[in-house]
Amino acid sequence: MPPLTTALGIDSREVVARRADEVTRAIDHIRPTHVLWIPSSTLKSVIDSIEVRAREGTWISMPITREEEGIGIASGLTLGGAKPLLVIQDNGIGNCLTALTTFPQPYHLPIVMLVSQRGGLNEYNSMIHTLGERVEDILDAADIRTFLLDERVPVERWATSIVGAWEHAEMTHRPVAVLLNLLY
Amino acid sequence: MTTLPPTELTRLDALAAIHHAFPSEPVVIALGTMVREMLLVAGRQPNHLHVLDAMGLVPAITLGVAMSPNGAAHARVVGIEGDGGLLMGLSSIATIGATRPENLVLIVLDNGAYAATGGQRTASPHLDLAGMARACGFQTHDIRTAAGLAVAMLDAKVRPGPWLLRVAIGPKNQAAPYFLPDPVELAIDFRRYLQVPVERRANDESAST
Repeated sequence: MPPLTTALGIDSREVVARRADEVTRAIDHIRPTHVLWIPSSTLKSVIDSIEVRAREGTWISMPITREEEGIGIASGLTLGGAKPLLVIQDNGIGNCLTALTTFPQPYHLPIVMLVSQRGGLNEYNSMIHTLGERVEDILDAADIRTFLLDERVPVERWATSIVGAWEHAEMTHRPVAVLLNLLY
Repeated sequence: MTTLPPTELTRLDALAAIHHAFPSEPVVIALGTMVREMLLVAGRQPNHLHVLDAMGLVPAITLGVAMSPNGAAHARVVGIEGDGGLLMGLSSIATIGATRPENLVLIVLDNGAYAATGGQRTASPHLDLAGMARACGFQTHDIRTAAGLAVAMLDAKVRPGPWLLRVAIGPKNQAAPYFLPDPVELAIDFRRYLQVPVERRANDESAST
Protein backbone atom coordinates (compact mmCIF):
# COMPACT_ATOMS: atom_id res chain seq x y z
CA MET A 1 0.00 0.00 0.00
CA PRO A 2 1.57 3.32 -1.00
CA PRO A 3 1.64 6.01 1.68
CA LEU A 4 -1.26 8.46 1.59
CA THR A 5 1.25 11.22 0.82
CA THR A 6 1.37 9.84 -2.72
CA ALA A 7 -2.13 11.23 -3.18
CA LEU A 8 -0.75 14.67 -2.27
CA GLY A 9 1.59 14.57 -5.25
CA ILE A 10 4.69 13.28 -3.46
CA ASP A 11 6.29 10.28 -5.12
CA SER A 12 7.93 8.60 -2.15
CA ARG A 13 9.90 6.23 -4.39
CA GLU A 14 11.50 9.17 -6.10
CA VAL A 15 12.33 10.79 -2.75
CA VAL A 16 13.91 7.58 -1.48
CA ALA A 17 15.90 7.13 -4.70
CA ARG A 18 17.21 10.68 -4.64
CA ARG A 19 18.33 10.43 -1.01
CA ALA A 20 19.90 7.01 -1.60
CA ASP A 21 21.86 8.49 -4.52
CA GLU A 22 23.25 11.12 -2.18
CA VAL A 23 24.30 8.42 0.30
CA THR A 24 26.10 6.63 -2.54
CA ARG A 25 27.73 9.89 -3.61
CA ALA A 26 28.99 10.46 -0.06
CA ILE A 27 30.45 6.95 0.21
CA ASP A 28 32.19 7.37 -3.15
CA HIS A 29 33.68 10.62 -1.89
CA ILE A 30 34.78 9.17 1.46
CA ARG A 31 36.28 6.14 -0.29
CA PRO A 32 36.53 3.81 2.71
CA THR A 33 38.93 0.86 2.47
CA HIS A 34 36.27 -1.62 3.60
CA VAL A 35 32.48 -1.47 3.66
CA LEU A 36 30.78 -3.87 6.09
CA TRP A 37 27.05 -4.13 5.65
CA ILE A 38 23.76 -5.65 6.64
CA PRO A 39 21.28 -4.61 3.96
CA SER A 40 18.04 -2.70 4.31
CA SER A 41 15.30 -2.19 1.74
CA THR A 42 15.65 1.60 1.69
CA LEU A 43 19.41 1.33 1.09
CA LYS A 44 19.20 -1.40 -1.56
CA SER A 45 20.64 0.78 -4.31
CA VAL A 46 23.41 1.91 -1.95
CA ILE A 47 24.44 -1.68 -1.21
CA ASP A 48 24.24 -2.51 -4.94
CA SER A 49 26.62 0.36 -5.68
CA ILE A 50 28.97 -0.72 -2.86
CA GLU A 51 29.15 -4.18 -4.43
CA VAL A 52 29.79 -2.78 -7.92
CA ARG A 53 32.61 -0.57 -6.63
CA ALA A 54 34.10 -3.55 -4.80
CA ARG A 55 34.18 -5.54 -8.04
CA GLU A 56 35.97 -2.57 -9.63
CA GLY A 57 38.57 -2.78 -6.86
CA THR A 58 37.67 0.51 -5.15
CA TRP A 59 37.26 -1.10 -1.73
CA ILE A 60 36.53 -4.41 -0.05
CA SER A 61 32.84 -5.07 0.50
CA MET A 62 31.68 -7.74 2.91
CA PRO A 63 28.37 -8.84 4.40
CA ILE A 64 28.45 -9.31 8.16
CA THR A 65 26.23 -11.62 10.18
CA ARG A 66 25.41 -9.32 13.08
CA GLU A 67 25.96 -5.66 13.89
CA GLU A 68 28.29 -6.27 16.84
CA GLU A 69 30.46 -8.46 14.64
CA GLY A 70 30.72 -5.47 12.31
CA ILE A 71 31.79 -3.27 15.21
CA GLY A 72 34.50 -5.78 16.10
CA ILE A 73 35.79 -6.14 12.54
CA ALA A 74 35.70 -2.38 11.95
CA SER A 75 37.59 -1.81 15.21
CA GLY A 76 40.32 -4.27 14.23
CA LEU A 77 40.56 -2.72 10.78
CA THR A 78 40.89 0.75 12.30
CA LEU A 79 43.67 -0.40 14.64
CA GLY A 80 45.49 -1.72 11.58
CA GLY A 81 45.31 1.50 9.60
CA ALA A 82 42.21 0.83 7.47
CA LYS A 83 39.23 3.19 7.06
CA PRO A 84 36.14 1.01 7.35
CA LEU A 85 32.50 2.05 6.99
CA LEU A 86 29.53 0.20 8.46
CA VAL A 87 26.09 0.22 6.82
CA ILE A 88 23.36 -1.24 9.03
CA GLN A 89 19.70 -0.89 10.04
CA ASP A 90 18.35 0.83 13.11
CA ASN A 91 16.74 -2.50 14.06
CA GLY A 92 20.27 -3.78 14.71
CA ILE A 93 21.40 -0.97 16.99
CA GLY A 94 20.26 -2.98 19.99
CA ASN A 95 22.53 -5.81 18.85
CA CYS A 96 25.64 -3.68 18.91
CA LEU A 97 25.24 -1.27 21.85
CA THR A 98 27.39 -3.40 24.15
CA ALA A 99 30.09 -3.84 21.52
CA LEU A 100 30.11 -0.10 20.82
CA THR A 101 30.27 0.97 24.44
CA THR A 102 32.83 -1.62 25.53
CA PHE A 103 35.30 -1.43 22.65
CA PRO A 104 35.54 1.41 20.10
CA GLN A 105 34.08 4.00 22.46
CA PRO A 106 36.42 3.45 25.46
CA TYR A 107 39.39 2.61 23.18
CA HIS A 108 38.72 5.81 21.14
CA LEU A 109 38.33 4.28 17.71
CA PRO A 110 36.56 6.30 14.99
CA ILE A 111 33.93 3.89 13.63
CA VAL A 112 31.33 5.40 11.30
CA MET A 113 27.94 3.73 10.99
CA LEU A 114 25.40 4.68 8.36
CA VAL A 115 22.15 3.51 9.93
CA SER A 116 18.97 3.35 7.90
CA GLN A 117 16.17 4.59 10.13
CA ARG A 118 12.55 3.58 9.88
CA GLY A 119 9.45 4.42 11.80
CA GLY A 120 7.54 7.64 12.20
CA LEU A 121 5.79 9.54 9.44
CA ASN A 122 5.46 7.74 6.08
CA GLU A 123 6.39 4.39 7.62
CA TYR A 124 4.32 1.57 6.06
CA ASN A 125 5.39 -1.31 8.33
CA SER A 126 3.62 -1.28 11.69
CA MET A 127 6.29 -3.46 13.32
CA ILE A 128 9.07 -0.96 12.80
CA HIS A 129 7.97 2.05 14.83
CA THR A 130 8.75 0.79 18.31
CA LEU A 131 12.53 0.65 18.04
CA GLY A 132 13.05 2.92 15.04
CA GLU A 133 11.51 5.98 16.63
CA ARG A 134 13.65 5.59 19.74
CA VAL A 135 17.00 4.85 18.14
CA GLU A 136 18.25 8.41 18.39
CA ASP A 137 17.41 8.52 22.12
CA ILE A 138 19.06 5.14 22.67
CA LEU A 139 22.27 6.22 20.96
CA ASP A 140 22.18 9.50 22.83
CA ALA A 141 21.85 7.68 26.15
CA ALA A 142 24.86 5.56 25.14
CA ASP A 143 26.77 8.77 24.43
CA ILE A 144 27.27 7.85 20.77
CA ARG A 145 27.37 11.04 18.68
CA THR A 146 24.53 10.86 16.20
CA PHE A 147 23.59 12.94 13.18
CA LEU A 148 20.07 12.66 11.81
CA LEU A 149 19.20 13.06 8.14
CA ASP A 150 15.56 13.20 7.12
CA GLU A 151 13.36 15.61 5.23
CA ARG A 152 14.35 18.43 7.56
CA VAL A 153 17.80 18.33 5.95
CA PRO A 154 17.67 19.38 2.27
CA VAL A 155 18.69 16.47 0.09
CA GLU A 156 21.46 18.63 -1.36
CA ARG A 157 23.08 18.57 2.09
CA TRP A 158 22.90 14.81 2.67
CA ALA A 159 26.23 13.95 1.06
CA THR A 160 28.11 16.79 2.75
CA SER A 161 26.57 15.85 6.11
CA ILE A 162 27.69 12.23 5.76
CA VAL A 163 31.20 13.32 4.76
CA GLY A 164 31.14 15.73 7.71
CA ALA A 165 30.17 12.90 10.06
CA TRP A 166 33.08 10.85 8.76
CA GLU A 167 35.45 13.73 9.50
CA HIS A 168 33.81 14.23 12.90
CA ALA A 169 34.58 10.62 13.86
CA GLU A 170 38.23 11.03 12.85
CA MET A 171 38.51 14.36 14.65
CA THR A 172 36.90 13.15 17.88
CA HIS A 173 38.38 9.60 17.79
CA ARG A 174 34.96 8.20 18.60
CA PRO A 175 32.25 6.10 16.96
CA VAL A 176 29.66 8.18 15.09
CA ALA A 177 26.23 7.16 13.80
CA VAL A 178 24.40 8.81 10.92
CA LEU A 179 20.70 8.02 10.99
CA LEU A 180 19.31 8.00 7.46
CA ASN A 181 15.52 8.22 7.32
CA LEU A 182 14.81 7.93 3.62
CA LEU A 183 11.03 7.73 4.05
CA TYR A 184 10.48 10.87 6.08
CA MET B 1 26.30 -33.80 32.75
CA THR B 2 28.81 -34.05 29.96
CA THR B 3 32.32 -33.20 31.06
CA LEU B 4 35.39 -32.44 29.02
CA PRO B 5 37.96 -35.26 28.68
CA PRO B 6 41.03 -34.89 30.90
CA THR B 7 43.70 -32.46 29.81
CA GLU B 8 47.20 -31.90 31.12
CA LEU B 9 47.15 -28.17 30.38
CA THR B 10 46.25 -25.25 32.59
CA ARG B 11 45.37 -21.84 31.18
CA LEU B 12 48.68 -20.50 32.47
CA ASP B 13 50.62 -23.27 30.65
CA ALA B 14 48.75 -22.62 27.42
CA LEU B 15 49.25 -18.84 27.59
CA ALA B 16 52.98 -19.23 28.28
CA ALA B 17 53.29 -21.55 25.28
CA ILE B 18 51.35 -19.15 23.05
CA HIS B 19 53.56 -16.24 24.07
CA HIS B 20 56.64 -18.38 23.39
CA ALA B 21 55.35 -19.39 19.94
CA PHE B 22 54.12 -15.92 18.94
CA PRO B 23 56.49 -13.46 20.65
CA SER B 24 56.24 -10.75 18.00
CA GLU B 25 53.01 -11.47 16.13
CA PRO B 26 50.02 -9.26 17.00
CA VAL B 27 47.94 -11.06 19.65
CA VAL B 28 44.37 -10.05 20.60
CA ILE B 29 43.51 -11.34 24.09
CA ALA B 30 40.01 -11.82 25.50
CA LEU B 31 38.85 -10.32 28.76
CA GLY B 32 39.08 -11.66 32.28
CA THR B 33 41.30 -14.55 33.21
CA MET B 34 43.00 -14.67 29.82
CA VAL B 35 44.17 -11.05 29.96
CA ARG B 36 45.18 -11.32 33.61
CA GLU B 37 47.01 -14.64 33.38
CA MET B 38 48.79 -13.56 30.18
CA LEU B 39 50.08 -10.55 32.12
CA LEU B 40 51.34 -12.94 34.80
CA VAL B 41 53.32 -15.08 32.33
CA ALA B 42 54.39 -12.45 29.81
CA GLY B 43 53.93 -9.03 31.41
CA ARG B 44 52.80 -6.12 29.31
CA GLN B 45 53.93 -6.87 25.75
CA PRO B 46 53.81 -4.37 22.87
CA ASN B 47 52.34 -6.96 20.49
CA HIS B 48 49.41 -7.71 22.82
CA LEU B 49 46.01 -6.04 22.59
CA HIS B 50 44.12 -6.53 25.84
CA VAL B 51 40.38 -6.53 25.26
CA LEU B 52 39.17 -5.56 28.72
CA ASP B 53 35.47 -6.15 28.09
CA ALA B 54 33.51 -6.70 24.82
CA MET B 55 32.99 -10.41 25.48
CA GLY B 56 32.64 -12.43 22.28
CA LEU B 57 34.28 -9.81 20.09
CA VAL B 58 37.85 -11.19 19.91
CA PRO B 59 37.31 -13.30 16.74
CA ALA B 60 35.81 -10.28 14.93
CA ILE B 61 38.52 -7.88 16.14
CA THR B 62 41.20 -10.38 15.11
CA LEU B 63 39.63 -10.66 11.66
CA GLY B 64 39.68 -6.89 11.29
CA VAL B 65 43.32 -6.68 12.34
CA ALA B 66 44.29 -9.58 10.03
CA MET B 67 42.61 -7.88 7.05
CA SER B 68 43.94 -4.38 7.76
CA PRO B 69 46.90 -2.97 5.80
CA ASN B 70 49.22 -2.91 8.83
CA GLY B 71 47.93 -6.21 10.22
CA ALA B 72 48.29 -7.99 6.88
CA ALA B 73 51.99 -7.05 6.93
CA HIS B 74 52.36 -9.53 9.80
CA ALA B 75 52.67 -13.19 8.79
CA ARG B 76 50.25 -14.19 11.54
CA VAL B 77 47.66 -12.37 13.64
CA VAL B 78 46.55 -14.33 16.71
CA GLY B 79 43.34 -14.14 18.73
CA ILE B 80 42.99 -15.81 22.13
CA GLU B 81 39.39 -16.50 23.09
CA GLY B 82 37.59 -18.69 25.63
CA ASP B 83 34.85 -21.19 24.88
CA GLY B 84 32.22 -18.87 26.40
CA GLY B 85 33.44 -15.95 24.31
CA LEU B 86 33.57 -18.01 21.11
CA LEU B 87 30.01 -19.21 21.66
CA MET B 88 28.86 -15.65 22.30
CA GLY B 89 30.36 -14.42 19.03
CA LEU B 90 29.97 -17.69 17.15
CA SER B 91 28.66 -16.14 13.96
CA SER B 92 32.09 -14.54 13.47
CA ILE B 93 33.55 -17.91 12.47
CA ALA B 94 31.13 -17.89 9.51
CA THR B 95 32.41 -14.49 8.41
CA ILE B 96 36.05 -15.47 8.98
CA GLY B 97 35.44 -18.67 7.01
CA ALA B 98 33.87 -16.72 4.15
CA THR B 99 36.73 -14.19 4.18
CA ARG B 100 39.52 -16.79 4.50
CA PRO B 101 42.34 -14.66 5.94
CA GLU B 102 45.35 -16.95 5.67
CA ASN B 103 47.22 -15.13 8.44
CA LEU B 104 44.52 -15.54 11.13
CA VAL B 105 45.05 -17.92 14.05
CA LEU B 106 42.26 -18.18 16.61
CA ILE B 107 43.23 -20.09 19.74
CA VAL B 108 40.30 -21.16 21.91
CA LEU B 109 41.14 -22.03 25.51
CA ASP B 110 38.27 -24.35 26.35
CA ASN B 111 37.54 -25.19 29.99
CA GLY B 112 33.79 -25.60 29.53
CA ALA B 113 33.19 -22.79 31.98
CA TYR B 114 32.81 -19.06 32.44
CA ALA B 115 35.95 -18.60 34.50
CA ALA B 116 35.64 -14.90 35.31
CA THR B 117 32.19 -15.18 36.85
CA GLY B 118 32.67 -18.20 39.10
CA GLY B 119 33.08 -21.19 36.80
CA GLN B 120 29.49 -21.67 35.65
CA ARG B 121 29.17 -24.20 32.83
CA THR B 122 29.08 -23.35 29.11
CA ALA B 123 27.60 -25.46 26.32
CA SER B 124 31.04 -26.36 25.01
CA PRO B 125 31.27 -29.93 26.46
CA HIS B 126 28.34 -30.85 24.22
CA LEU B 127 29.87 -29.33 21.10
CA ASP B 128 32.60 -29.93 18.58
CA LEU B 129 34.07 -26.42 18.39
CA ALA B 130 36.83 -27.44 15.99
CA GLY B 131 34.31 -29.29 13.82
CA MET B 132 32.14 -26.17 13.59
CA ALA B 133 35.18 -24.15 12.53
CA ARG B 134 36.15 -26.78 9.93
CA ALA B 135 32.67 -26.57 8.47
CA CYS B 136 33.28 -22.83 8.05
CA GLY B 137 36.55 -23.38 6.20
CA PHE B 138 39.10 -23.25 9.03
CA GLN B 139 42.12 -25.50 9.42
CA THR B 140 41.92 -26.89 12.94
CA HIS B 141 43.64 -28.85 15.66
CA ASP B 142 42.09 -30.30 18.82
CA ILE B 143 44.70 -30.15 21.56
CA ARG B 144 45.00 -31.44 25.13
CA THR B 145 48.76 -31.73 25.72
CA ALA B 146 51.68 -29.31 25.85
CA ALA B 147 53.44 -31.19 23.06
CA GLY B 148 50.28 -31.14 20.97
CA LEU B 149 49.92 -27.39 21.44
CA ALA B 150 53.53 -26.75 20.38
CA VAL B 151 53.15 -28.86 17.23
CA ALA B 152 49.78 -27.29 16.37
CA MET B 153 51.12 -23.74 16.69
CA LEU B 154 54.10 -24.62 14.50
CA ASP B 155 51.69 -26.02 11.91
CA ALA B 156 49.59 -22.87 12.11
CA LYS B 157 52.71 -20.79 11.49
CA VAL B 158 53.81 -22.61 8.36
CA ARG B 159 50.58 -23.63 6.63
CA PRO B 160 48.01 -21.02 5.54
CA GLY B 161 44.88 -20.51 7.64
CA PRO B 162 42.49 -19.38 8.85
CA TRP B 163 43.27 -21.57 11.84
CA LEU B 164 41.27 -22.50 14.91
CA LEU B 165 43.21 -24.30 17.62
CA ARG B 166 40.91 -25.65 20.28
CA VAL B 167 42.94 -26.18 23.44
CA ALA B 168 41.32 -28.12 26.28
CA ILE B 169 42.46 -26.61 29.57
CA GLY B 170 41.76 -27.57 33.16
CA PRO B 171 39.47 -25.60 35.46
CA LYS B 172 42.24 -24.02 37.51
CA ASN B 173 42.47 -20.23 37.60
CA GLN B 174 45.65 -18.51 38.75
CA ALA B 175 45.20 -15.68 41.20
CA ALA B 176 46.12 -12.54 39.28
CA PRO B 177 45.72 -8.86 40.04
CA TYR B 178 43.20 -6.69 38.23
CA PHE B 179 44.47 -4.88 35.15
CA LEU B 180 42.89 -1.43 35.06
CA PRO B 181 44.68 0.76 32.52
CA ASP B 182 43.17 3.49 30.40
CA PRO B 183 42.03 1.52 27.30
CA VAL B 184 43.02 4.44 25.06
CA GLU B 185 46.64 3.73 25.94
CA LEU B 186 46.20 0.08 24.96
CA ALA B 187 44.74 1.04 21.59
CA ILE B 188 47.47 3.57 20.82
CA ASP B 189 50.25 1.14 21.75
CA PHE B 190 48.78 -1.68 19.66
CA ARG B 191 48.14 0.59 16.68
CA ARG B 192 51.79 1.70 16.79
CA TYR B 193 52.97 -1.87 17.08
CA LEU B 194 51.02 -2.90 14.00
CA GLN B 195 52.83 -0.20 12.01
CA VAL B 196 56.26 -1.63 12.84
CA PRO B 197 56.76 -4.01 9.89
CA VAL B 198 55.30 -1.44 7.49
CA GLU B 199 57.81 1.18 8.64
CA ARG B 200 60.63 -1.35 8.58
CA ARG B 201 59.70 -2.36 5.03
CA ALA B 202 59.62 1.29 3.93
CA ASN B 203 63.06 1.83 5.45
CA ASP B 204 64.40 -1.29 3.74
CA GLU B 205 63.07 -0.09 0.40
CA SER B 206 64.56 3.37 0.77
CA ALA B 207 67.89 1.86 1.83
CA SER B 208 68.02 -0.35 -1.24
CA THR B 209 67.39 2.47 -3.74
